[in-house]
Amino acid sequence: MTKITWDNVALMSKNTADRLGVEAAGLGVANVDVLAITVNGTTVEIPAWVQPGHADDSITITVGYGREGVGKVANGTGVDTYPLRSTSAMLYATDVQVENTGKKYEIACTQDHNSMEGRSLLRHATLQEYRDNPDFSTYDSAYNAELPGEAYAGEQGQDRPLSIFDAIDEADYPDYEPQWGMTIDLNSCIGCGTCTIACQAENNIPVIGKREVSNGREMHWIRTDRYFEGDVDDPKALHQPVPCMHCELAPCEQVCPVAATTHSDDGMNQMTYNRCIGTRYCANNCPYKVRRFNFFNYTKEFLTTGSDPEVVQMAMNPEVTVRFRGVMEKCTFCVQRVNRAKINKKIETDGESLKPDDGSVETACQQACPADAIYFGDLTDPDSKVTQTKKNNRNYLLLEELNTRPRTSYLAKLRNPNPKLA
Amino acid sequence: MEAKDKHIHGVLAEFKNPKELIDAASAVEKSGYNKYDTYAPFPIHGMEKAMGIKESPLGWIVLGGAIIGLVGAVTLMVWVMAYEYPMNISGKPFINIPVYVPIAFELTVLLSAFAAVFGMFKLNNLPKFHNPLFNVERFKKASDDGFFICIEAEDDLFSEEKVSSLFSDAGATHIETVYDK
Amino acid sequence: MSTDYKYVPEPALVKGDHTFGSITDIIAKTPLSPTPKLWYLAFGISNLLLITLLGAVGYLIWEGIGIWGLNNPAGWGWAIINFVWWVGIGHAGTLISAILFLFRQGWRTAINRFAEAMTIFAVMCAGFFPAIHVGPIWVIYWVFPVPNSMAIWPNFSSPLLWDVFAVSTYFTVSLLFWYVGLVPDFATLRDKAKSKVAKISYGIAALGWTGSFRNWWNYEKAYMILAGLATPLVLSVHTIVSFDFAVSMIPGWHSTIFPPYFVAGAIYSGFAMVLTLMIIARKIYGLEDIMNIDIREKMNLVMMVTGNLVAFAYLCEGFIAWYSGYIYEQGIFWLYATGPYAWGFYILMFCNVVTPQFLWSRKIRRNVALTFVISIIVNIGMWFERFMIAVASLATDFMPSNWDYFSPTFWDIITYIGTFGLFFTFFLLFLRYLPMVAIAEVKGVMPQADPHNYDDETKEFVKPKAEPAVVDQQTV
Repeated sequence: MTKITWDNVALMSKNTADRLGVEAAGLGVANVDVLAITVNGTTVEIPAWVQPGHADDSITITVGYGREGVGKVANGTGVDTYPLRSTSAMLYATDVQVENTGKKYEIACTQDHNSMEGRSLLRHATLQEYRDNPDFSTYDSAYNAELPGEAYAGEQGQDRPLSIFDAIDEADYPDYEPQWGMTIDLNSCIGCGTCTIACQAENNIPVIGKREVSNGREMHWIRTDRYFEGDVDDPKALHQPVPCMHCELAPCEQVCPVAATTHSDDGMNQMTYNRCIGTRYCANNCPYKVRRFNFFNYTKEFLTTGSDPEVVQMAMNPEVTVRFRGVMEKCTFCVQRVNRAKINKKIETDGESLKPDDGSVETACQQACPADAIYFGDLTDPDSKVTQTKKNNRNYLLLEELNTRPRTSYLAKLRNPNPKLA
Repeated sequence: MEAKDKHIHGVLAEFKNPKELIDAASAVEKSGYNKYDTYAPFPIHGMEKAMGIKESPLGWIVLGGAIIGLVGAVTLMVWVMAYEYPMNISGKPFINIPVYVPIAFELTVLLSAFAAVFGMFKLNNLPKFHNPLFNVERFKKASDDGFFICIEAEDDLFSEEKVSSLFSDAGATHIETVYDK
Repeated sequence: MSTDYKYVPEPALVKGDHTFGSITDIIAKTPLSPTPKLWYLAFGISNLLLITLLGAVGYLIWEGIGIWGLNNPAGWGWAIINFVWWVGIGHAGTLISAILFLFRQGWRTAINRFAEAMTIFAVMCAGFFPAIHVGPIWVIYWVFPVPNSMAIWPNFSSPLLWDVFAVSTYFTVSLLFWYVGLVPDFATLRDKAKSKVAKISYGIAALGWTGSFRNWWNYEKAYMILAGLATPLVLSVHTIVSFDFAVSMIPGWHSTIFPPYFVAGAIYSGFAMVLTLMIIARKIYGLEDIMNIDIREKMNLVMMVTGNLVAFAYLCEGFIAWYSGYIYEQGIFWLYATGPYAWGFYILMFCNVVTPQFLWSRKIRRNVALTFVISIIVNIGMWFERFMIAVASLATDFMPSNWDYFSPTFWDIITYIGTFGLFFTFFLLFLRYLPMVAIAEVKGVMPQADPHNYDDETKEFVKPKAEPAVVDQQTV
C-alpha cells in the first residue's frame, strides 16, 4: 500500500501533514521530514509519510522494525516503535504530541507517482455500471474513442489492428507447441504483494538494499502497482500486478542490437542473459517497464557476499541462472517450470505431445497468490482456465492501443458499493 | 640523342602566373607533345582544356564500389536474418526491407568512398616517393607559389633545344634540364 | 513605382594584400616552427582531462553502470546525451567541407580543414560513449557482424546496430576526406620544412605529391565524389542517430520529425563549436585575414537558419502532439513544460529558440565577442535538448507507476568533462603539427588563381572590379 521498502514510517493524511509542515515526497529520492512522536513521555523519532485515504488527525505506525543484532537485513532498518507501546496503549494511543524535528531522512519507495493521470490502465466499474454496460472494459468504452487502426482493420476483414509489417501471426506458430498466456483478475487481487516475493524466491532475484531502491533500481520481475483514484481525501486504492506481458509484437525485441531477446515458438519473450551486452534499449522501449537491469553485480556483491553461510547460497533456486552485472532480466513466465512440464509431458506421451495439461504448470506468482487471481496456461487448449478468462467480457489488454499484442491480460475490477454508503 | 653519363628526365620551365602557364600549356599541346605535365599549387581552371585531358575514369571505379557495397550489404542482411539464423524478433517478417535501408546505404557510401580514394591514388600512381623533379631545388615552389611545366624526354618529339626554345617563346622565367638521379 | 537594385559584390575571401607565397607562409609557419609555451600548457591540461576520462572509464568497468545515475525507467542518461551531442558537433565539419563545396561557396576554404579536424575528433569522442555505456564492455564486439563460435549474428533491425555502421562509416569517410584534402598541403610542408624529421614525416604523408595537373584532375574528381558522398552521409548519419529515439515507441521519442530536426540541430551546434574554436585560434595564430569577419558572419547566418529550424521543429512537435489527440504525446509535452524537468525545458527554450533571434541583427553577427558568447550558449542549449529528449521522455512515460527521476552522479559528470580532454588533446596536436587551413584550397579561390582575371595581352593580373548594376523595375 505504501510501496516503501526497508524502513517504517508514520503514515498520515495530507491534511495532517500540512498541519505538521510535512511535505509529500515527489519523484526521485524521497527525503522526508522526521517527526518526534511523544506518547506518555516517551519520544520516538520516525520519518513521516503522506498516505492518501488515511483518516485526518491520526497517525499510523508499524512495529517490529529497528531491531538490532539479528543480522544484515534487520540492522539499521527502520525505527523501533515499541517504546511508544504500553499495556495501557497496546493498539492505539490518544494522548500524543507530534513535532516536526526539521531533520530529513531518506525513504526508499518503489513507486513515486500515485495517480493514473487519466490513462485507463486499471479499469474498474461498479456492479451496476457493469450491468448497464458489460463491455465497459474495452478500449472504446474506457477512452470513448475507437482503437487506432480498428476501423481500417475491420474494412480489411481483420479482427485486430493491422501492423504495417506482415507480422508473424498465430497461424505461424507451430501447432505442436503450446501457446502460453496469462490473465490476472483484478477483481480477486488484494494487492498483498505475495506474487512479487514468490517470484523473487523462485527466480533468484537479488535484494539490492535501501540505497539502490532509493535510486529506482529495484529488481522485482512482477510488481504490484498501486493507484489512488477519486477524491483526494477519500480515494480508492487500486492494485495491479504487472509482470512481463510477453507481447507477440514485443517492442523490446526489435531494438536489441545483438538479438539477446527473441520470441519463442511457444509465445514467450525470451531473454538470453549470456548474449545481453546491456545497452538497455529494450528496457527503454518497453512501455510497461517490466525489464530490470543489473546495474551492479547484485547477485554476488549484494545478495551473497561470499562470506555468507552456505545455507544462504543453498536458498537459491538451482534451476534458474543467476545474472551477472550489465545484463537485463525480466519475468520469464517461469520458463524453468514450463520447460520441466513440457519435458515431463513429452516423456509421458512418448514424444507425442509437448502440451502440458492445464494446471500442471503454475508460475510462482500464480502458485503463491492467496486470492488465486493469476491464471496461466496454454491458449491452444480450448478448455484451459486461461482460455476461458480470455473470453470473459471483463478481459482487456494493458496499453492495447500500442499494438504490442500482449499475452498477459487483465480482468477488470468490479466494486459493489452499498448505494447508501457511496 | 647525345650520350651522357646522366640520363635526361626532361626539361622544366617556370612561369610567372597561372595565365602564362595555361598559355604555355596550350602551346605545348598544340605542338604535339603528349608526355608532359604542368605543376601548380592548386588546380587551375581551364587547364584540362589547354592540355587536352579527357574525363577522369574515377566515376566508374566509384560506381563499382557502390554496387559492391549495396549488393554486399543486402546479401549479408538477407542471408543472416532469413536463412542463416532466422529468429522471431518482435514478430517482424524475416526479410524486412525497411530495416535494411540504413545499413545498406551506409555500406554503399563506405565502399564508394574507398573506391574514390584508393582509386584516385591508383590513377595518380601515388604513393610515388621518388621523382627526378624533387632533385630540382626550385621545384619546391610548385607547392608554394610557382608554376611549372615539364616536357619529358620519353616524348617522341623531344629534343632539348626545341623544347627550351618553345618555353622561352612562351615567356618562361627559368628553364632547366632535369636529370634522373 | 521603380526599384533600384544595386549589385553588391561578394566580399574578398582573403582580406589584406596576400599573394600565394604569403598565404603559405602564414599557415605553414605553425607546424614548422618550434612549439609555443602556451601550447604546452594547454596540452598539459588536456592530457590531465584525458587521464581523468580513462580513470572514470576504468572505474566504470570495475564497478558497473550503477556508478552513473541511471535507473529504471531512465536507462539512458548522460552517456547517450553526450554521444548525440558530440556526433552532432561533428556534422558541421562535413557540412562545411562537402555541402558548401557542392554549393560552390568559396569561403569554406578558410575553415574547412579546421572544421573537418573538429569533426573527426568529435566523432572519436562520440564513439566512446556507446562503447562504454553497455553492461559488459568486454563483449561490445558482438555488435559487429563477424562469424563467431556462437554462430550468432547481430540483429539488423535494431537502430543501435544501424548506429554502429553509420558512425563507423562517418568516421572512416571523414578521415579519408580529410586526408585527401591534406595531401597537397603535406607536400607544401614537405617542401618548406627545414628539419630532416619534418621533411621525412610530411614527405611520407604527402605520398610524393608533385602538384601535377594530371594528378590534380583525378584529385578534383575524387574530391567532388567524396563531397557528393559525404553530403547524404552527414544527413543520413544523424538521421540514423535520431532513429535511436524515433524508432522506439516512447512518447516524446516516437516522432517522424526527428530526422530533419536532429540534422538541423547538429549543424546548429556544430557551427557553434567551430565558431568557438575558430575565434580563439585565429587570435592566437594570427589568421585574422583568412578566418575573417565575413566568414564569421556567414557562419552566424547558417546558425541563425538552423537555430530557427530547430525552434520550428519544437513548434511542430507541440502542434502535432495536440493535434494528434494521442494522450501520451500530449501528456509528455505537458510534462516537459510543467513536470519534474521543466527547468531544463526553459533553459532549452532560451538557448535554442530565443538565442538565434539575436543573430537577425547584422551588428551582432559581425561582433566577435557576442558571437563567441552566443556560440557557447548554443552548445549548452543543444546539450539540454538531447537531455530533455533522452531523460525527460523516459522519466515520465506511459505508466505513471514507473515514473522516477534521474540525476547525474559525480561519475557521469567527470566522464563528460574527460571527453573534452580527449578532444582537445587531439585538436592541439592537430593545431601544432598540421596546417590548420587548407592552403591549396584557399589559394585556389583567390582571384589571382583564376586565369580569366589576367589580361590576355600583357598576362598581368587585373583585380576584378565590383560592377554596380542598376536595374529599373516598373510595375504595370
